[in-house]
Amino acid sequence: MLGNLNATFWQNLAKIFTSEEYMNMLFEGLGCTLLISFGAALVGVVLGTLVAIVKIVPSKNPVMKVLNFICNVYTTVFRGTPMALQLFIMAFVIFAIRGFPMEIVAILAFGINSGAYVSESIRAGILSVDIGQTEAGRALGLPYSKTIGKIVIPQAIKNVIPAIGNEFIALIKETSIVSMVGGLYDLTLVAKILGGGDKLASFLVPMVVVALFYLAIVYSLTFVIKLVERRLRASDKR
Amino acid sequence: MISVKNVYKSFGSLQVLRGVSLDIKQGEKVVIIGPSGSGKSTLLRCMNLLETPEKGEVWLDERLLTAVDPSLHEGLETKKARKAFEKEYGIDVNAGRAKMGMVFQHFNLFNNLTVMGNMVLAPVELKLKSKEQAIKDAEALLSRIGLLEKKDVYPSTLSGGQKQRIAIARALNMNPKALLFDEPTSALDPEMVGEVLDLMKDLANEGITMVIVTHEMGFAREIANRVVFIDEGVIKEENNPQEFFSNPQDPRLREFLKKVL
Ligand SMILES: Nc1ncnc2c1ncn2[C@@H]1O[C@H](COP(=O)(O)OP(=O)(O)OP(=O)(O)O)[C@@H](O)[C@H]1O
Ligand SMILES: [Mg+2]
Repeated sequence: MLGNLNATFWQNLAKIFTSEEYMNMLFEGLGCTLLISFGAALVGVVLGTLVAIVKIVPSKNPVMKVLNFICNVYTTVFRGTPMALQLFIMAFVIFAIRGFPMEIVAILAFGINSGAYVSESIRAGILSVDIGQTEAGRALGLPYSKTIGKIVIPQAIKNVIPAIGNEFIALIKETSIVSMVGGLYDLTLVAKILGGGDKLASFLVPMVVVALFYLAIVYSLTFVIKLVERRLRASDKR
Repeated sequence: MISVKNVYKSFGSLQVLRGVSLDIKQGEKVVIIGPSGSGKSTLLRCMNLLETPEKGEVWLDERLLTAVDPSLHEGLETKKARKAFEKEYGIDVNAGRAKMGMVFQHFNLFNNLTVMGNMVLAPVELKLKSKEQAIKDAEALLSRIGLLEKKDVYPSTLSGGQKQRIAIARALNMNPKALLFDEPTSALDPEMVGEVLDLMKDLANEGITMVIVTHEMGFAREIANRVVFIDEGVIKEENNPQEFFSNPQDPRLREFLKKVL
């Protein structure tokens, strides 16, 4: 029995890697996963940065106060409800429009969710910069925006890169639920299809192969983050 | 030149300054002493508005830095009159700060910039100097304090004494009218206190206005024109250093001097 399983395993593995159809499906799945992940990461970083800035800038201005309130609601709601639910709402309520590209729906759903986490990381990174740095800037007569832009943010980035990197990795894995709303063939869905009766009729091999795909993405990303981190740290020693 | 008028400041329920007035003349060296928590730093920080007083005014060179306090003037009961007053006498906080250098206990050099970056950032950003001029002046200041060879290093590689001297040089590169020092030697190892005090003495002799919070009584006696004792949020005594140290009047000051001398 086990020997038999073992034999089918290698047969199926060989089938996947020799069949042009199956390989094409896998790479399409990879493309879809990467597209959604990078798109969402971009949306997340832009949104997260804006929200973090709104939350940090001290202001008595009523417009800023309203914005601040909205941002607080945003981070609370999107970090406090399940990702799958947010995806459903995005796909079946907000963008329940026939023919609307599902890629965009997915990028927005994952990006807006990610932005809530990223904004907290960025905020923490900015707050971790010694208040003395801000005071020295202000005492020299630099306006708040210049002090933040030239002194605080450059120092905060160093603290924030690892957290954002981790968030990005979590995001890539999280996109595996995207097939729940249909219309998108990401890596995970491709694994499921490949395991179906009309293809390999076994889930083991496609799942393992796709797992390796995910691992490869995450591993390369970890490597890049480490590299960036080391670069940034080198600049303040010398 | 710096005029503090009846300033009040509290943090929550803690009343730190309770009506402090202090006139600092052009070229004067005023040393502020007092027990820990008495409000010395808060007073200094109110002078350049790092803290906003809730009552009273701060003036710099006949220009109002704070909001106007109508209780110090006649005929400013209406909002319109106050606005008009502020329009006539007020200046932008940033413009005021640019004229007053501040030196902190913990140096606060910008960690993401080299020594030269620290020296030129503000004067260039605020368009007080061209970049070339700022660099030239910075080099002159750095060679004066013997640290020109450090111009391209980051602050993390410097000793405390070097950091503080560079922080002073950074303030000087703004060509300020006055310098405010908040315990500039308190965070230093004892062997580095001398180099910073020596630089401050040099500056004092050049005639720049200085307001110094310090626990260095010998230094105060040597360079001050006036010593101010602040306690419980008010000025309890002020006098020339001779009288101040040899003939203190206030009982709390006597007690304080007994402890620190
Ligand atoms: N930002 C702040 N928030 C709350 N309390 C503060 C703040 N800044 C100062 N205080 C409090 O105000 C009081 C006066 O502080 P301040 O720093 O002016 O004293 P100081 O005379 O400079 O003391 P030290 O010699 O210890 O530096 C202290 O009790 C301090 O804890
Ligand atoms: Mg203090």
